[in-house]
Amino acid sequence: MQIQVKCRCGEGKCPEWAIVELQGVVEAQSSFLDRLQNLEIGRLCRPSSQENYTFTVGYHELSGSKVPLKKPLLVLKKNRDLDPDQPNELNSSRVELEVIGIIRYRILFKTRPKALISKAQPVVKEKKAGEPNPDVSIK
Amino acid sequence: MEEPEAGCRGGAEAVLNLKPNSSISIAYHSLFGPHDDLILLELDEKLLPDILHNRVTVRGKPDEEAVLCTQSKTYALKFVGTSNSVFLIPPSNRSELNLNSDEGNGTVDDKPVVAPVIKVAPGNMEIVEVAPRIDKLKLLLSENPYRPEEEVEMEEKKDKEGLFRWDDLVNRVQASDEELMTGLRALSAVEIDGYWRIVDEKYMDIVLSMLLHNSVLNGWSLNALRENEVVGVLVADEFPCRIALHCLEMYGSKMDEDMGEDCLWKLDEKRVCLHFARGVLRGEKRKMESFMEEWMQKIPAGMQASFDMLEGEVLIERVGVETWVHAFSISSLPSNPAERFSVLFRERSKWEWKDLQPYIRNLRVPGLSSEGLLLKYTRKTQPTLDAEPVFSAR
Repeated sequence: MQIQVKCRCGEGKCPEWAIVELQGVVEAQSSFLDRLQNLEIGRLCRPSSQENYTFTVGYHELSGSKVPLKKPLLVLKKNRDLDPDQPNELNSSRVELEVIGIIRYRILFKTRPKALISKAQPVVKEKKAGEPNPDVSIK
Repeated sequence: MEEPEAGCRGGAEAVLNLKPNSSISIAYHSLFGPHDDLILLELDEKLLPDILHNRVTVRGKPDEEAVLCTQSKTYALKFVGTSNSVFLIPPSNRSELNLNSDEGNGTVDDKPVVAPVIKVAPGNMEIVEVAPRIDKLKLLLSENPYRPEEEVEMEEKKDKEGLFRWDDLVNRVQASDEELMTGLRALSAVEIDGYWRIVDEKYMDIVLSMLLHNSVLNGWSLNALRENEVVGVLVADEFPCRIALHCLEMYGSKMDEDMGEDCLWKLDEKRVCLHFARGVLRGEKRKMESFMEEWMQKIPAGMQASFDMLEGEVLIERVGVETWVHAFSISSLPSNPAERFSVLFRERSKWEWKDLQPYIRNLRVPGLSSEGLLLKYTRKTQPTLDAEPVFSAR
């Protein structure tokens, strides 16, 4: 079969997505595991005019920088159009890959996290009342 | 509907354009999840225009490894996993994803700037240029070669199973459009009533013989055959018009086309001679002398056959004082290099370069030179410095 790769963005106008990448896995406390939605992971901070960044996750701080990708990444979305005549037949569905974005930069944290032991978290979070207290850590 | 304002609600642009001495909250999106329908594809910058102009497709059956095709090239698609956490952040106004559906009640000003993570990408797809998987084309078209009896049968049976239109081929063969067209030409396939066919070899032999016979009768020059005249005479002999024209396409080449409706064709000496050599050797080995004798008899007047024409088509064997030849055509060999060498070494365990070269010169592996191919699939031995090198299986 043939799957068409479609792009409806128009010439050079693909919306740009971003990647924040770190080594290891971010884990939420078990009470949040099945409802991660809206939970804060951490705070991304750009301390100077250079492209250096810190990412504070729970009581850990990561240092990293913004790096251009050697080759761009396209964000594709798999769309499945069911044939209206035979909606129950899997083979009759037409699949299309739609380009919905492009990624040219990532903010990469490749160092091990530094523990923020005695000081409080450097950035005060603005929280809405009733929002769960984010509790995440890097494993 | 509240239109999200760029920069206020965050998203990718807030991350990418983060001002010095400022910060942004990175949070799981309200629709955070595995989102298996979102795929990252790493692509060379130079292929982006093809993507933007919808010239790229993914081809393959569910049980095949998918390939990505541009107009002219084929690429294997590979998944590259990562153990890093890759947080994927969409721009703030992604209506297709129905993001930002969690608009709160507060005004824009008192909302925190958040960059929402829609998914953690387990890796991305990347592409590697590969040779087209074109052998399947021959397999498909060989199922039902075109035969003369068919003209009658086709009237009755409406069943077109085992016949393929261009779109059917595109759905089945993992090759780009250009590579598929090249493959069809290499097989001397012809489009008859919308279906791509190869014509039964023995039938083509009859058509060609009839064409040559008529050239003698009518005093035509094989270097300047008038299309209308040739096709007209063959059609009068009850050959279908498309087949008559195909005979000219297969064994000749069109000369300059400024003749208007009626163009001139020149028969190709090598292709015609090759056709008759194949006929003589069909299915059996022959002693060199008797082969040459029979072959020469079949060559039309005005053409010169020479043994060089059979490079990549026949192999010579020396048994004692006798020399035998048998058909071994490059067109019957697989295009995949590993399979090609395996068939070659089954035919012969040792090959001299001059014999081997004609059978591997059309192997095309992106990123691998012919020396590289030989190193990978053969063992080269050279008993003495001035001896011819010999290639055997690895």
